[in-house]
Formats: sequence, structure tokens, C-alpha cells
Amino acid sequence: MPKGRADSVAAAADPVTRFFAALDEPGHLATFEGDSAGVRLDVLDGKKAERWHVSITRGDVAVTHNGGPADATVRIDRRHLEAMVTGRLNAQAAFLRGLFACDGSVGAFMMFQRCLPGPPGSTGRVAPIPSKTVMAQRGMK
Amino acid sequence: MSGGLVQILEGNTFVVSDDRGDIESSLSDPTGLFSFDTRFLSRWVLTVNGQRLNALSTDDLQYFQTRFFLVPGSGSVYVDSRLTVIRQREVADGLREELRVLNHESEPVDLHIRIDAASDFADLFEVKDALKKKGHYRARVADLHLVLEYRRDTYVRETWISSSSPSDIDEKGLSFSITVPPHGEWKTALDVVVSSEHAEGAVDRPTRIRGQRHVRGDMERGLEKWLQKAPLLECDWEPLAQIYRRCLTDLAALRFSTLTMPDRSLPAAGLPWFMTIFGRDSIFTSLQALPFAPELAATTLLALAERQGTRIDDFRDEDPGRILHEMRYGELTAFEERPHSPYYGNADATPLYVVLLDEYERWTGDTKLVRDLEHAARAALNWIDEYADLQDNGYVSYQRRNKKTGLENQCWKDSWDSISYRNGDLPGFPRATCELQGYAYDAKRRGARLARLVWRDPAFADRLEKEAADLKRRFNRDFWVEDGEYFAVALDSDGRQVDSLTSNNGHLLWSGIVDKSKARAVARHLLGSRLFSGWGVRTMAEGEARYNPIGYHVGTVWPFDNSFIAWGLRRYGFKEEAACVVAGIMEAAEVFNGRLPEAFGGYPRKTTRYPVQYPTACSPQAWSTGAPLLLLRAGLGLEPQGDNLIVDPALPKRMGSLEVLDLPGRWKRIDAFGRGRVDTDRVTLC
Repeated sequence: MPKGRADSVAAAADPVTRFFAALDEPGHLATFEGDSAGVRLDVLDGKKAERWHVSITRGDVAVTHNGGPADATVRIDRRHLEAMVTGRLNAQAAFLRGLFACDGSVGAFMMFQRCLPGPPGSTGRVAPIPSKTVMAQRGMK
Repeated sequence: MSGGLVQILEGNTFVVSDDRGDIESSLSDPTGLFSFDTRFLSRWVLTVNGQRLNALSTDDLQYFQTRFFLVPGSGSVYVDSRLTVIRQREVADGLREELRVLNHESEPVDLHIRIDAASDFADLFEVKDALKKKGHYRARVADLHLVLEYRRDTYVRETWISSSSPSDIDEKGLSFSITVPPHGEWKTALDVVVSSEHAEGAVDRPTRIRGQRHVRGDMERGLEKWLQKAPLLECDWEPLAQIYRRCLTDLAALRFSTLTMPDRSLPAAGLPWFMTIFGRDSIFTSLQALPFAPELAATTLLALAERQGTRIDDFRDEDPGRILHEMRYGELTAFEERPHSPYYGNADATPLYVVLLDEYERWTGDTKLVRDLEHAARAALNWIDEYADLQDNGYVSYQRRNKKTGLENQCWKDSWDSISYRNGDLPGFPRATCELQGYAYDAKRRGARLARLVWRDPAFADRLEKEAADLKRRFNRDFWVEDGEYFAVALDSDGRQVDSLTSNNGHLLWSGIVDKSKARAVARHLLGSRLFSGWGVRTMAEGEARYNPIGYHVGTVWPFDNSFIAWGLRRYGFKEEAACVVAGIMEAAEVFNGRLPEAFGGYPRKTTRYPVQYPTACSPQAWSTGAPLLLLRAGLGLEPQGDNLIVDPALPKRMGSLEVLDLPGRWKRIDAFGRGRVDTDRVTLC
């Protein structure tokens, strides 16, 4: 297999790479049309380190590996980032728990975390509950 | 004060202690030093020579500052008058206490002063529900500090305690061995700083102490400036001046800054349990305060947009475009044992968000903010149709997806029995409560105005107006209870009317969804004996099976509810009826010394001379604090029209002459005058 192909297969299997590629791909996110901010993620994986730099300018999104300054800098273990970009870990809860550090603008980080997906099992749907079940739960009739 | 306890606050940091200034809390007891929903001190006890102190007096100097005058000896009869201890306390990013010991004798006195300190680091939710902790505690002495620490995996919270004068520090507190000269004084300052640290792991340890301390002078000047900036009120009826000042001071105390906007503030919901952003409460309070402090609305709109839902998350009941219900920062939220990071389970804040944005523009002319928040407003409007129509019947309804820790009732009447049929039966889920349809209607109408005026999208405006008209037509057909001539509180999951008579009818008038032909009947009910107690409109009418004058949402009178009802009555031209609501609630506020509780009993006024306060731990509460402001607006008939402010007063006769000077808005500053001419006594006292 040519080397380039192997890289892209590995990339396709890697949730972090896949997430940032998907974020970069449309080039514009209407959700952030009123906002501009840059977030840099310094990702640690044992001795390996990688950088992702997400820059949003009035909705226009660009993702690079640029190590330059950003409004917010996040230092995070790769396993936690993988959990976040696949919706298995909520970024706000993880922040309160001290799973990663964020320096600089909290607002910039807030914007980034809104790009993250919801939990994999969430459907947005729920089965209706009839009146008699509600009444029974309350010990009535 | 609440329940004999003394409380002071700043932002989301607050202290609740006994009248000596001591804290001795148990897991289920709401005393302590709290910050970011976590208790950082659960024990803080002062002794002199091993003796507890006795309170002579306690002064609330400011909302963030208290002074305790104490003497040794805990007996109620004997007081050792040779010594006085003055404890002056203020809250900032923690607590600072100045301790002064005065010797009244002509001989020097040797004393052993001791402060016992400990913390259980309870999450506010644990205090409310008496839950057990899962982490580990440690106390250590480091760098002339007593450091109390709680650790659960990477979650670390610490309390750092130090003093300005030398002390012996051990793991349970600080001791001072002192000699006070004859007629002399000894003093020290105790400093308690709270810290939310990151633990080791992938990250370095950040700076030791979070945030910067406020300086007392800044806080005092801040309050003074806030009061000076507010419109000036003068009135023949003296209690109104006290009510107004109390409102402004409590509103100042309830201001809350988010981590993303430390220099701006929005109203938190209430002290002590609700010092955080609540979508509904922050919006309603911002609406109430709009004529007096429009900057609160701007911050509320920005802060809620920053946290607007973007994804489907069943645990948090989040959808794209949904406005949050409640944000929390404590341990249970951190470990996802509670969904408040943030939790989105409400069905009203999202349409109300658009209502506030439009009302804010009408008052201030700030089209820049409306442009900046265009996407947020469009996402909110989209949520109404795409995500809130759970039954595919064109109505907003709610049902929680988080069945364990989500909220069952996602409207403002959120207690379990608030929505019922006349016979007391409870409907199933989803529930489409009536006021939600009103808010959705109003959001569409107001969204259309903004689309046309600011977003330059007339096609979108046309669509919204068409949808609003269709919603109004269907609503007046499907929710109208023919035999009672009012609107049902809800439609159940079968589309059947949940037919009890409730105060929600007043919110419908406010929203404008009521057909003109039906409005008079609705107004008659609101001021009729089944709903109107003499002090205000009850949440549920007398005669309904679940009616209870001291039932939380089934018979009590809520000042906030009444303020919107009064606005609703004005919207349909019922000026005298609105004046009666203004009179009832303002007269109740007089009895409560200017600070309206969350709710009070729905007993008829003629049988109880005083309004009976509903027992609640939350005071002041933001939307009760804001109620008199909106009632002033309703009484004076203040309504922006283009660049002018219309003043069309209909005030209770008792108020006499009323002037509100320097009302801010797109007109810069304007004065409003009114004279009480409506004989409200014939309704409120009969």
C-alpha cells in the first residue's frame, strides 16, 4: 500500500482527525456568524504531542496545526479529547472536573465546545406517557 | 435574613451564618460559605478563652457586608461586659473578616482567640438532597495558611485560610494568644479564599488562587453608582419609595457575572439556592427591569446565546437552538450525576428569548445587538417548530428525555401537581401548556418585526406572521373552554383540554394570542373572586379540585406572575383591572417591608388581614424583586412607540402623585408622571 494511502486510512479511523476534518470542511458555520475567536489545543499522548488550531472569523472556520497564539489554549490528554469529539464526554463537565486546563478566554473555549457532538445514544425522542401512568406513579387511582 | 440566618453575597459567592457569624452546618443545612455551587466552609466558629460568643446586634451594612457585635458568654441573661468582639465580614471571591477585641477594663487582659474551620465541600444539590460525598478530605498547614482540600479523581477544591497577624495554625483552625491593653483594642483580618484547582495528569498545576479579589471600596462605589444610575422615584404613597429602593438594592445583589463576561452582569434567580443563570428567571427579570436597567437584558441575551443548544443530548434535554434552563458548577454536575452543564429542560425560555430581544430593541434602539444575535434568534425560532412540536400538532409541548434527573414540568409552574384537570386528575406527557403557545405566538410576531426592521428579510417576516396568525386561530379554537369562558391550562397528549382555571390566562393576555372577543371574559376571571384574592391573582382558581391556598402552584399568589398579568391586562386595554393588580401586590409589598417573597398564601384578603408568606428558603428572589418594577410600568402605562415613550397612567387612588424621572431608553432620558385615580379598594378590599 502506498504510504499516503496508509496515512489517510489511519486518519479516517482516528476520531480526532475525523472531527477536525469535518469541522474544517464546510468552511463556514452559521452558528458563529456573530463571533470570532481562536482556540488552540495542545494534545498530549504519552510522549507524542500534536496541535490543532481552530480559528473562527464571523462564522468562517479554519483548522490548522499552527502553534501560534490563540484566544484560548487548551492542554488535554488525547484520550479525553477523543471522548469529547465522539460525544462520550461533555466538555463543560470535563472542565469542571479538571480533566484539562484552559488558559485565556473562557468565551473562546465555550464557542469551541459548542461544535462538539452530543452523546452517541441520544435520539431526541421519547415515548409518550399516558395520564393513568402519571396518576399511578403518584399513587392515585 | 432568612429563617433567623444572616446572609451576604456577591455574585455566586455567599455566606449564610447564625446571628453570631458562626457556621456549624450539617450536610442537610444551608449554612456555610458557598461559591460556584460548592460549600467551601461548613464550620467557622469563634471562641474567646474557649467560650462561644453572644450576639448583641447584627447589622447588614451592605448586601455583601455584615457586622456582628458580640460579647463572651452564651447565656441569654448574663452578659460579660468587660469585652466586646466586633466581627465585620464581607464577601468577594471568598470571605474576609475583620476581628476586633475591645477591652473595657483598666487592666490588661490575656486572651485565647480561636477560629475553628472545616469544610465538607458539599455540592448545593447534595445540601438540598442530603447526599453522601465520594471523594477524600485533607487539611494541611502550608505557607502560613490552613488549607482544606477535597479531592475526587482530578476534581480538586480548596479553601485557603490565613490571618493578617501571627497565629498558631493547626489542621482544625487558627489560634491567637494575645494581650489587650487597658481600654485598648486588638484586631486581625481573616482571609478565606476559595480555589478550584486542576489536579495533576495531562496538565500543569495552574496558579494557586483563582481570580482577583474585589476591593471593598470598589464594591461600595459599584452599589452607589447602580443606585444613582437608576431612575428617580417620587410618590405621595410613602411605602413605594421603600419598595423601589429595596428592589434596586436586591437586584444589585442578585447581579451575577459569568466567567465569559466578568465585567457585565445579569440577574441570577435567587438566594441562596439559585445564584446562577436560569434561562427563564433571567429573561423574566430582565423584562421586568427593562425600563429601569436595560443593561441586564443585554447581558442576559448575550450570555444565553453563548450557551444556546447546538446538538441533541438526551441527558441534558438539549436540542439545537434551545435556551438553557439552569447552569451549575458543582461536583455532581462535574461528574455528570446531574445534567446541569448546562441543563436545557424548559419549554418557555427559547420563545421568551426572542420576546426579550425584541422588547430590548423597542426600549433601547440597540439594533447592533439584534444584528449580532440574529443567528441565536433564528435558531430559537427554528426550535419552536423543529424541536418543540413533540406531537406534530402545531403546538409547543414538553416531555423530559432525561427520566432520572430531568425536570418533569418544563414550564414556570414546575411542581408535580401544577397542571391538572378540574377534577384533580393529572394529564400524561407530552403536555402543551397554554402560556407556551402564547410565548411562541409572541416570539413569531416579534421575530417578524426584527426580521423586517434589522435583518432585512421580509420573506422570513411574512412567514413568521403567517404562522403566528395560524397559531392564534387554532389556539382560540382548541384551548377555549366554552362552558367556563377561559383558556384551558393545557392540552394533554390526546389533544384533550386540561380544563382547570389558572393564572396562565393572564400570560396569554400578555402574549397577545387572545382573540379580542374573548379578552373581556378572561379579564373578568382574573379579577373575579375565584382567582383574585384581594392581594393578587392566584395561580389556580378556588373551586378546582387541587386548589389549595398554600399549594405551591395551585392557589398561592406569585408576585412575578401578577406583574406579567398586569402587563397583559394593559395590553388589552383593561387599565382599571391592571391598577387593581398593581394595588394588591404593592400593598402586599408594603407588608413585607418592600421585599416581596416568591409566593404568598391565596387566602381571601378579607379573611386574613396580612398576606401569609409561603415558606421558602429563597429570598430575595429575582423575579419577585423585579415585580414592582414591571407593576410600575403597568401602572404608568409605559410603552415605547418609535422613538417616543408613551405614558398613559392608570394608578390606584391611594398612590396619589407618582413621578419616575430619567427613564433610560432610545429617547435618552424621559420623565413619567401619573396621579392615582382608580378606586382599587372596591376590588382589593371587598
